[in-house]
Amino acid sequence: MKKHIKGFGLGAFFAFAMGTSALATECIAPANPGGGWDFTCRQIGKILFDIKQVDAPVQVTNMSGGGGGLAYAHVVNERGSDPDLIVAASSATTTRLAQNAFAGMTADQVRFVGAIGADPGVIVVAKDSPFQSLNDMVEAIKADPGSVAFAGGSAAGGFDHLKVLQVLKAAGFDDIRSVKYIGVDGGADAVTQTVGGFTQGMTGDMSEIVGFLKSGEVRALAVLTEDRVPGFEDIPTAREQGLDVVAVNWRGLYVPKDITDDQFKAWAEKLQAVADSAEWKEAMAANGLAPFTKVGDDFQNWVNGVVAQTVELSKEIGVLQ
Amino acid sequence: MAGDRIFGAVMIVVALGYILSATTIQVPLFPDPVGPKTFPFMIGGGVIVCALYMMFRPDPEADWPPLRSLLSLVIATIVMIGYTYTLKPLGFLIPTALAAGILSYQLSPRPVAAILTGVGLAVGLFVLFRYGLDLGLQPFPRGWL
Amino acid sequence: MDLLSNLALGFSIALSPFTLMLAVIGCFLGTIIGALPGLGPSNGVAILIPITFSLGFDATSALVLMTSVYYGAMYGGRISSILLNIPGDEPALMTTLDGYPMAKQGKAGDALVISGVASFVGAFLATIALMLLAPYIARLAYKFGPAEYFALYLLAFSTLGGMASNNQAKAAMASLIGLGLAMIGQGQSGTPRFVHGNLHLMDGIDFLVAIVGLFAVSEVFVFLESHGKESSIGVKLEKVTVPVKELAATFWTMIRGSIIGFVAGVLPGAGASLGSFMAYMAEKSYIGEKGNFGKGDPRGVAAPEAGNNAAAGGALVPMLTLGVPGSGTTAVLLALLMTLNITPGPTLFTDRPEVVWGLIATLLIANFVLLAMNVPMVKIFVRILMVPPAILLPGVTMISFVGIYSLSGSSFDLLLMILFGIMGWLFRKMDIPTVPIILGILLGGSMEDNLRRAMTLSGGDPLYLFSSPIAVVLWVMAILGFVAPIFLRRYLRKPPAVTD
Repeated sequence: MKKHIKGFGLGAFFAFAMGTSALATECIAPANPGGGWDFTCRQIGKILFDIKQVDAPVQVTNMSGGGGGLAYAHVVNERGSDPDLIVAASSATTTRLAQNAFAGMTADQVRFVGAIGADPGVIVVAKDSPFQSLNDMVEAIKADPGSVAFAGGSAAGGFDHLKVLQVLKAAGFDDIRSVKYIGVDGGADAVTQTVGGFTQGMTGDMSEIVGFLKSGEVRALAVLTEDRVPGFEDIPTAREQGLDVVAVNWRGLYVPKDITDDQFKAWAEKLQAVADSAEWKEAMAANGLAPFTKVGDDFQNWVNGVVAQTVELSKEIGVLQ
Repeated sequence: MAGDRIFGAVMIVVALGYILSATTIQVPLFPDPVGPKTFPFMIGGGVIVCALYMMFRPDPEADWPPLRSLLSLVIATIVMIGYTYTLKPLGFLIPTALAAGILSYQLSPRPVAAILTGVGLAVGLFVLFRYGLDLGLQPFPRGWL
Repeated sequence: MDLLSNLALGFSIALSPFTLMLAVIGCFLGTIIGALPGLGPSNGVAILIPITFSLGFDATSALVLMTSVYYGAMYGGRISSILLNIPGDEPALMTTLDGYPMAKQGKAGDALVISGVASFVGAFLATIALMLLAPYIARLAYKFGPAEYFALYLLAFSTLGGMASNNQAKAAMASLIGLGLAMIGQGQSGTPRFVHGNLHLMDGIDFLVAIVGLFAVSEVFVFLESHGKESSIGVKLEKVTVPVKELAATFWTMIRGSIIGFVAGVLPGAGASLGSFMAYMAEKSYIGEKGNFGKGDPRGVAAPEAGNNAAAGGALVPMLTLGVPGSGTTAVLLALLMTLNITPGPTLFTDRPEVVWGLIATLLIANFVLLAMNVPMVKIFVRILMVPPAILLPGVTMISFVGIYSLSGSSFDLLLMILFGIMGWLFRKMDIPTVPIILGILLGGSMEDNLRRAMTLSGGDPLYLFSSPIAVVLWVMAILGFVAPIFLRRYLRKPPAVTD
């Protein structure tokens, strides 16, 4: 089923169809139309033009394949110094880079220019679960690691899996190799497995559980952000519960590595302008994104930290040698 | 007879290569009792069993084509591979007209009809895909237009 | 009465001239997209997403257009399956098994009409079921965990034993090759397998590449070699009439296929391909040796077409009520809904009744549009077989290339497709069936994933696989499905033919 969902983008058709005239900015969405990366390109591209940060409408190119790896290779190998190119990225990009899933390419081969919104990570249980707080759950795992199994929308070893492990590490539980996790076909599927009682917890993004939260079939034990999320004020953060973990699926951009520092700074400023616009705030609200703005060197440093942490965790659970 | 036996032997080699490659799959350290290698091993083993069966109980020989027909298949394959590599740099129209024309000539050796078919298909399909389905095909090598 | 007022709301939206026009355009485009090899419902819908953005459609209009395309493509897939032995998309795979033999016998018109009506019956019943039962049957998804899904896929594979083949070892070999190809890439399990540093293989082998290669490209090779002796092209066609007798005779087949297809569609992860496959195999074992399956039995086109269209409707149930995509196409539709700021899930029916009921009303209308469009057009479709092969086959080849190229824009996929084409030709010469290869690719990964998930959850306890009544029932059916054909064959076997 996973393969179904993959590549029905019209990838390079649009790419070589429209070409790239010298002036127009191009935004590559490394996936098919309709997904998160496509949304990032289309929304940011539209707002960039609307608030006059760029002179011509931004050209969106879909380039699916290899979980974003083909687009990454394209940027690294063929567009390494193109100042008019931006590429949609998210936590999935950095997780895959950290886990060497892009055929040897590394995160330092591009520059991460900014994130301007994020889908907050959540830990969720079915409504009749005995766990009332994140700590209840953590204690149960400490007592018997096999007693709590998690379902998530990413593959085993992926971002959703790592979220749980980060929480447990923060709680001082080091035997993370004993934690049960199954990767299923997307967040909503993970929720149904949890509601059905096959797994005891679900780990995913806020947007994946909104409908089930409203219908009361699941309870969120914690949201993995710095502060409570607007619109979901009754969900406590992990931090409040004494577990200092921030894990959000950010939406942002990277740019080719060999552009000048000034060009990099210019993109950071443009992105900041998008983040500050009323239009973007509306788009975020409509898509269940929480504010999360980091641009320029600040963001690059943050990404470096995340990548290093992902590498460490991945080695520990054996998905990276 | 011979066909089935040769195929069986080739598949055994392929299956052994598959199993060998499967031994190098990285095994994660988190709970996964079945693991990533079990299925590939079972599949490889199953292929070997089927291949042995084919070798010892072969069907009557297939009706293999004479060398001349085989040659036309090789030519068709080369045309398709050539098409694959020229589609991007040369745009849609020229490679499509060429490839469709050659295939058409192979099926029915009338040069004028083949040329017309090639050009007609290239233009017709371009119109269908570009304007009917809105696929952004590039008609000519970049820079011509 | 709730239902009536809801339906009234739905039709008040769906019956506006603009919406109707969108439905007609969508049905027409969908039928064409479905019929073109390489372009199926999922990429058909994906193609049109950017258009709805650029035209600035509202949520209902966009959804109406997309679902019309979706239903249209499900209808259209059968056309090339029957006429040319090339499945237009993966759910139409099973329709080749009897549809193409019918075409070779000059009965292409009958096959198209029967399958068109079967598509209508399947889609119509599924839409009614969606309307009446969606909130209740959505709960079925909560009953299916890894153990149950594993048993379901096992059932699908066990019935492969009953597939028509002269040589069981070759049929088994074919499904194993499919399974082996399904292992390639980074699946749910995390570790990439058989990728060898090739990024193109990371997502695995796309089954569309395999289908188009094995069926469309190989067709060119077969034709080149045999000079058309084995083809349906140019066969003298019987006059196209409405085959009233066959339609009446296949009525219950269509109903059975619809029910099976709908259930398969409702289960997330199973989808339309499994629906048409199970419908075909179930019908085949139900009819037993009296049937003429694999050689042009009209029930062999009615069952899978009712099944895959019902599955398409069924897949909308988990999509709307749970936000879980039941198939590749619903995954794209789901993404579209999210972009339109509609959150599918348990509360969608109460939060956004205008969207849900507008959609249901459109589906009902689209069905009639498609029936009206498809049955009279059979006369036009069959003319395809009158096109000289020197024009038709290069055309099919070029369409295949563009269709596959549109998946990812990579030459790698095209080369893979050519490779599958050569393989398809070789296998057809050697009498190795190619359908099991596709089924292996389509279903193999999910079967393995679910077994691994089940064992992860149970800590390696095999008894977990039989821990629920649903799982046990599926296991019993799987064992019966595997064993029954063997016994039947033993009892009904003619004197063994001399093989050496």
